Amino acid sequence: MNKVMGNKKVIALFTLPTVILFTVIVFYPIIQTVYRSFYDWNGLTAPIFNGIENYKNLFADDLFYESMRNGIIFAVILVVFQVGLATVFTMILMNPRIRGKRFFRSAFFIPAVLSVTVVCQLWGALYNPEWGLFNKIFEVLGLGYRQSWLSSLDFAIVAIAFVNVWQFVGYQLCIIYSSAKAIPEEYMEAARIDGASLWQLDRYILIPLLKDTYKMSFIFAITGGLNAFAHMNILTKGGPGTSTYTLTYMTFRNAFTVGKYGYGCTSAVLLVIQCLAVTILVNWLFRNKDGAVFEGGK
Amino acid sequence: MKQAHRTTKPSTAISMIFLIICSVIFIYPLFYLIFYSLKTNNEIFLTNPFGFPKDIQWVNYVNAIKAFDILAFFKNSIIVSMASIAGILFFVLPFSYSATRMIWRGKTVVTNYLTMGLFIPIQVIIIPLSILVRDMHLSNTYFALIVPYVAFNLAFSSMIMSTSFAGVPKEMEESAVIDGAGIFRTFVSIIIPLVKPAIATAVIFAFLNVWNEYTVASILISKNSVKTLPIGLANFVGVHSTDWGAMGACLVMASIPTIIIYLIFSEQVEKAMTIGGAVKG
Repeated sequence: MNKVMGNKKVIALFTLPTVILFTVIVFYPIIQTVYRSFYDWNGLTAPIFNGIENYKNLFADDLFYESMRNGIIFAVILVVFQVGLATVFTMILMNPRIRGKRFFRSAFFIPAVLSVTVVCQLWGALYNPEWGLFNKIFEVLGLGYRQSWLSSLDFAIVAIAFVNVWQFVGYQLCIIYSSAKAIPEEYMEAARIDGASLWQLDRYILIPLLKDTYKMSFIFAITGGLNAFAHMNILTKGGPGTSTYTLTYMTFRNAFTVGKYGYGCTSAVLLVIQCLAVTILVNWLFRNKDGAVFEGGK
Repeated sequence: MKQAHRTTKPSTAISMIFLIICSVIFIYPLFYLIFYSLKTNNEIFLTNPFGFPKDIQWVNYVNAIKAFDILAFFKNSIIVSMASIAGILFFVLPFSYSATRMIWRGKTVVTNYLTMGLFIPIQVIIIPLSILVRDMHLSNTYFALIVPYVAFNLAFSSMIMSTSFAGVPKEMEESAVIDGAGIFRTFVSIIIPLVKPAIATAVIFAFLNVWNEYTVASILISKNSVKTLPIGLANFVGVHSTDWGAMGACLVMASIPTIIIYLIFSEQVEKAMTIGGAVKG
């Protein structure tokens, strides 16, 4: 038996293809990105080593700070509205008297299975300044208010962030709700017998027990915001001006439009450092001070 | 208890109304899309922007197929998705089997190495990857997408498969080997049929991922004839901004496969997407 299950040739044949593919397509490029971030490189001619020059330039680049600012705005909107709404919906759906739970969850979830292109094209239509839904609503209500949503310097980034909120609320709801359902019914029952109101139940039992789930939700929302790319690439191309640049958009633009591959690698490295920092920070904020916390549904 | 019931009732009603209003607001844009895919420009712009189309324009769908390359994009998406899924299974099934059931040193290290793939954002990979694709002369071919898609899905798919392989009783292999079956026969005709549900989950997740993938495709593909739906449709606004109804029809058609899959396999899709969330970074 062990001879068959320990056959070295078979093990190599089964394992190596995956390991090689992963190494070549995923692992090797990561090393390359870090390595090339110290080079002046246009992707065509031989790269020239220039030490920390790229990093110096990046920290002196106004666009870098604007991109970071937009990433933070995006992340804050996702946390407040995506995680926030998902929490409110979870609290409501945890009420045993609410009917049609499956329907509500699906209604919120469907946008998450659409491609980002479909979602952006649809929202491009909703935001259309002449005939889009939002301005039409103002018109019907008789308000003189009009907004050129996606071509406003200040508002475009917010408008784009809400596209993402809409698309992935159901996804966050799914994460939070499925963990909430996994909490043993006795916990809730015990509190209910003690006369806790629904709000107290949520505030003192449900949310504290979902700490680990919230850790995950926050990390998804924040890194999702910092990483945002597809939405602006489709809806605004970073514009108007550079007002909807994010660090990812800046990275892609530097590398693939301007042809500064080395510099693109530098901002990619910073992006990863940022995401790592956020992950560590969120883990630290959500650390278990008192030890005893229920492990959310896995 | 009785008293509690009485006090919760109004709040339940309020919650229910709130939930209904929210879900209507959230789902309405999808109906708006379906409606405008069936309207004339005049109806979209002026006469009836919100409601159900007055005079249903099926012709938009005909125009979408005739005037845009939607069928070509569909074909590309189907080819890339199917090939990627086949590739993922081809790599992952033997790998996870060997990493969970076979006896060798270093399998924990190798498994952990692959698990790293769950936490890597695409941004760190894409620049060198684009050079790699160019140097391998894969630019603007299906393989420029299939190879990265297979590689990106290895970590998550092998996680799902490994969990499932680990649950197969040891006796399955023992009796097969005693009966004289080789390791390949045992693997293909005894073990794989036992893990079909996990394969289904992995396939559904991979399909949704690949079908909707935008970022990598937008960087690696520039030729129209190999564009998948997400990048093919992304350029529509500028090019075809005159015929909104037909554009809406394209968007609706492109979404039908994933929506159908979601409606059939809701629980599995939600489960896979929640566990696999980290993959997207």
